Amino acid sequence: MRPGRAVASFDSATGMLRALARFLHGRDVPLIGQGPAAAEAPAAALLGLANRLPRRLKERAYAAGGWAEAVPMRRVGDIRSGDLARWVAGHYPERRSEVAFIGSSNGALVHLAAALAAPWLPQTLLIPVRRHGVHPDEPREDLRRTRAAGEALTAANPDLVLHQMHDANQDRLMIAGMSYFRVKWRRLPEAYRRYLERNLAPGGTLVVADCGLRWPVTRIGPRHVFQHGALGGATPREYHEGGPRVADYLRRYGSPHRRWDYPPVDEESPEAEWGFEPALLPDLEELAARNGWRLARMGFAAPEDLSPVVADLYRAWYRRRGLPADRLLAECFLLLEPYWTLRSGSVPYWLVFNTEPSCAGLAGYVDRAGPFAEIRLMLFSHGVESVGLASAERWREVLARAGKIGVFTGVDTAAYLRDFAGLALAHRELARIMATAPMPPPLEWRVAEEFLAGREEIEWSEAGARAGLPVGRNPSAPGTDR
Amino acid sequence: MGVEKAGLEREDRVVGGLRVATYRRRGPGPAVVCVHGAGVSSRELLPFVRALGERHDAWTLDLPGFGASAKPPRPLTLPALADAVAGWVAEARLDRPCLLGGSFGCQVVVDTAVRHPGVAGSLVLAGPTVDPRARSPWRLAGQWLRNSVRESPRMAPLNVADYLDAGPRRVLAAFGESMRDRIEDKLPLVQVPALVVRGGKDRMVPQSWAEEVTRLLPYGRLVVMDGLPHMTPYRDPEGLARLVTGFLDGAREEAA
Repeated sequence: MRPGRAVASFDSATGMLRALARFLHGRDVPLIGQGPAAAEAPAAALLGLANRLPRRLKERAYAAGGWAEAVPMRRVGDIRSGDLARWVAGHYPERRSEVAFIGSSNGALVHLAAALAAPWLPQTLLIPVRRHGVHPDEPREDLRRTRAAGEALTAANPDLVLHQMHDANQDRLMIAGMSYFRVKWRRLPEAYRRYLERNLAPGGTLVVADCGLRWPVTRIGPRHVFQHGALGGATPREYHEGGPRVADYLRRYGSPHRRWDYPPVDEESPEAEWGFEPALLPDLEELAARNGWRLARMGFAAPEDLSPVVADLYRAWYRRRGLPADRLLAECFLLLEPYWTLRSGSVPYWLVFNTEPSCAGLAGYVDRAGPFAEIRLMLFSHGVESVGLASAERWREVLARAGKIGVFTGVDTAAYLRDFAGLALAHRELARIMATAPMPPPLEWRVAEEFLAGREEIEWSEAGARAGLPVGRNPSAPGTDR
Repeated sequence: MGVEKAGLEREDRVVGGLRVATYRRRGPGPAVVCVHGAGVSSRELLPFVRALGERHDAWTLDLPGFGASAKPPRPLTLPALADAVAGWVAEARLDRPCLLGGSFGCQVVVDTAVRHPGVAGSLVLAGPTVDPRARSPWRLAGQWLRNSVRESPRMAPLNVADYLDAGPRRVLAAFGESMRDRIEDKLPLVQVPALVVRGGKDRMVPQSWAEEVTRLLPYGRLVVMDGLPHMTPYRDPEGLARLVTGFLDGAREEAA
């Protein structure tokens, strides 16, 4: 099976991979990197019309879109991780760099890598698997139906850990016809090793992006876990025990259930989408030692912890370049535009999703770091009025903190939540900004590293290139010995 | 909507030898003077003035050559129209009112504010024309057509009546003035608080241009009214009136 077909296009990891790879090729990201720039205007018009469809039809379109992307269950065992790694590495230009990133998916990390003109090799990918006839609020049934396929995948790929994920809150529409198989590399794939050896300069730095987020799971096999829900608007506890918000949500969606019946929790494991699986570290240490690279670990507790750090790094960089640094661009989930972030002189602040916790995080950052003359906000529409979602009104309150211009970018607020056009309009509207800055030469790694190592959100540690021993800035902190 | 039905008073004044017709609703708050767009008149602004008059001393004037005002022998240039507005404010003895322009009216009030400092206390620019990238008759006509499908059909007869009042020569002259004006060079000179209002579906004022207008104004602020076309005062008089009140309250607090 073609690797590009096996992997989900509308996922964080692939969206980030496309955005960064296109940037490193000197390009922007029209149609979230899924189509040619020439198709943007007709696509925007068509999706704008689709926004006017009745709710039921739109919900079916989401479900059908997920199903169409997914891999037939009988073919899951044919997927080979080596092909996936080759496909990922093939996105990037062959170019010498001082620094390269590997590990967790993260939108702020994409902007960090873009500033440095460095590649990032994702540890995690999503393989959507077709599966019918399971009610979204019955996770045990999902597991029962897909368990054999999961076992086939892990048996065929000893270097992968499978995190099956069932989020009946935010993925309600998508999981009608598919199951989420997130795979993480526990061994360094050959294609990644080769790409790094061709491109990372001698004496260069390999940075491990290590998101420490963990989530309750049920263990299915030695390399196979089933994750209960996901990071977003609901808490791990709500996925397990339910609660008034969950009951209300299920009632609104006409579900026969009032809480979810996940299988019993065995343990916590790295979160399926964002968390870093530390089993990969020994291979990286060995590779770095062999090539004379420094291996640095950039640890952070939760995905959005990196957002203020990278935003502040950009602000400092803009100020050094004589730009005002008072323009903020908040991007959501896989809506990322590193090229136009720099061309518009915008400070990037990445939101993991469109939820209340993310909204509060953005408001907090604006209040701490502001005032900003301009705030632009892209919002990803996932089609579900899920628990913990922040309404357009809530986002508007954050935009109102802008001194001059606080606007949605590519959001049809009347259609929001089921706003297909945003996938085309986010880039389209941002790219039309009239006040632009020239594309700067890459930020120096030395400057960035000093900045990152000094931030309290980040646990920065370094393994000696030859010794392979962690010599952390703060070795007593939890996690440094992982 | 007729003048009496709207609960408005008609008052005329002579400015520079020309009769200028105005409509007013006396409200308790500070004065706001509305200036209409190219080729049209106060007709389209009457519902808005009625709404605004709940809280403000709300005026709208017909520029010389348009609506019920006197017709000068030759169409007036933009600076002459701006002079007429400044002259009218002095004649009416208003103390630094807020000048609110709609469409081409934005160009008139910006010219008034920068060439007659001290006349305007603040500006509201509802749908500021003309995007410099659209400064050609064909582009402008295309934008006008694309926008018109979203405007209220009830506004069309008012436009026709206005165009008949003014005559084709003055209508075309006004559009010509709007295209010759380089508003972007004047915006940085506006020294008073200014609120920029854009209808979210306005095809004549692209979002990027509304943002640029705001960016160029030293004390500018942008509000987008979701889903509305170019003529926000006609499509949502109450909503715009609320925005203007909020803006003037804020500007007064900052001044205090």
